[in-house]
Amino acid sequence: MSWQAFWFASFVLAFSTFSVISLLIAVRGVAEIRELFATLEEERRRKAGCPRG
Amino acid sequence: MSAPAIVSPFSLLDALITLASLVATLWIGVRVKRYIGTIEDYLVANRGMGLYVGAASLLSTEVGIITYMYQAQFGFVAGFSAFVTGLITLAVCLLVGRTGFVITRLRELRILTVPEYFEKRYGRSVRVLAGVLMAFGGSLNLGVFPIIEARFLAVVTGIPSRYLGWTMAGLLVLALVYTAIGGMVSLIVTNYVQYVFLATGTVIVTIACLRATGWNTMVRAVEGHLGGQGMNPVADLGWGFLLWQVLLWVALMTVWQSVAMRTFSTKDPATGRKMFTLTGFLFLGRAIIPMVWGIAALAFFWGRSEPVVAPAAPTRAAQIEEVEARLDAGFQRDLDEGRIERALPQLALVERLAREEKGPAAERAVQRARDRRGELGLLAMPWMLAATLPSGLLGLMVAGMLAASISTYAGYFLGWSAIIAQDIVAPLAGRELSGATRLRLTRVTVVSLTVFIMIWSLVYDLPGPAYFYLQVTANLFMAPTLIAVVGGLYWRRASAAGAALAFVLGAAASLGYLVPALGLDVATAGNLSWGLAIAGFVAGSLLVPSRPRLAGARP
Repeated sequence: MSWQAFWFASFVLAFSTFSVISLLIAVRGVAEIRELFATLEEERRRKAGCPRG
Repeated sequence: MSAPAIVSPFSLLDALITLASLVATLWIGVRVKRYIGTIEDYLVANRGMGLYVGAASLLSTEVGIITYMYQAQFGFVAGFSAFVTGLITLAVCLLVGRTGFVITRLRELRILTVPEYFEKRYGRSVRVLAGVLMAFGGSLNLGVFPIIEARFLAVVTGIPSRYLGWTMAGLLVLALVYTAIGGMVSLIVTNYVQYVFLATGTVIVTIACLRATGWNTMVRAVEGHLGGQGMNPVADLGWGFLLWQVLLWVALMTVWQSVAMRTFSTKDPATGRKMFTLTGFLFLGRAIIPMVWGIAALAFFWGRSEPVVAPAAPTRAAQIEEVEARLDAGFQRDLDEGRIERALPQLALVERLAREEKGPAAERAVQRARDRRGELGLLAMPWMLAATLPSGLLGLMVAGMLAASISTYAGYFLGWSAIIAQDIVAPLAGRELSGATRLRLTRVTVVSLTVFIMIWSLVYDLPGPAYFYLQVTANLFMAPTLIAVVGGLYWRRASAAGAALAFVLGAAASLGYLVPALGLDVATAGNLSWGLAIAGFVAGSLLVPSRPRLAGARP
């Protein structure tokens, strides 16, 4: 494999994985943030001694 | 030779797009304020970070305008050979993610910062020493961000250079506000939003670069205009440089504060390991994609250039002198007006004539040409974007770049201020600080750090390529930190004296690069730093042993 082909393959790998993973982050990140906030909210209520709901 | 100056088409629409992204970021940062509770909530978000948000947060912190600038510069001057650093990063990330090397054991100890481990393992003095060197190197590293980023913004938005200081100050204050208000919880959320902007901007710019030049044109530019270099990384960069990159990236992926904080923030060690695997591919893109922009800029401006012939002087030395005099007269103006294509062929001519001439004077001419090529490389990519992106896309790109930068400042503010507050001030105070006091202290150090980097950014001139400066200032404390952590975790005889010696010797060798009189090249300084840190650590530990303070060392 020539250097030229190797660097082209490296670029294709870098750009395609970056694009796909970024799309995954954009889609699945929302649910994770909601989950994080729910956990923190629960923790806050527990510390404040308030009943849930 | 009469190329027109490039004028950015940045319009009101672009300004509105940029402003809307900034307002959205600030609004989100303020909204999450109510979730701050304990110092641990503030610093590591109650360890509740998921896989994808964790990866977004890590990458947002580690990608700013500065990253795109120095990676593009590296691509512009080193061609495709520069890609090897991205591949090294991927390999290291996959290795760390797969094996859990260092990160799993540190996370199990439930610590907030890496120096905290040093106190448990070696004692308070080592923690403070590590904290001082980390804060010093980290501040130097962060200190050049605003001025380099200001130059990018000047080119792509057309803001007059006299207002750049104020522009960067405004951005820093924005980052400061939501970092101080929200801490890590704020960062996790705003980084997520910023990552979406950042990724969008990155894809837009890459497509624009490929449309402006095309892959084959880039290949021809590298083969034809880098003096026979640009394809083979071993021949171009040398084994010493590659070895240093491997060592440095192992350190960056395991004990670099902003990376370490994300590791400590994941839900569990398994999520932490998966995050590193995912992040490895994102870091590959972080390196190679902007390098492609730099190579595209090289091809773009060579495509606009006109041939330059050697002047009719009696000797080669006189010819070199004449071309250099021409460069002296117009180089800065060409750089400021985007006429990169005027300077490039003249630099190539100086290099060719100097190679034919040989001798010390010719070598100095080559060095001057190389320095100027570096200066062109830093600004060629933004000038190409200003010349090729239409209004609207330019605004989206700037919004993405600004999002990347603000999240980087915020992440670094938080990381380094945590070190200053908790690893220097609190241990020196000699007592356990309350959670509220530590939180206040962290906020004060965030503000102080902002003031420092604004001043440093305005008074300091880089000694060479930005890529080398940034890596050396990181290496300053990264080499000894990794050695002291690995030694502490896996070598029973590791002692406080060994750790202290590793820090002093490792930092001194890296600082050698920043002293031009010593004439150390970057790879020598980097490898020397690792060699001396290891030697100091082993010698100090064997000569002055101490009992392990933590049940973390394995025989």
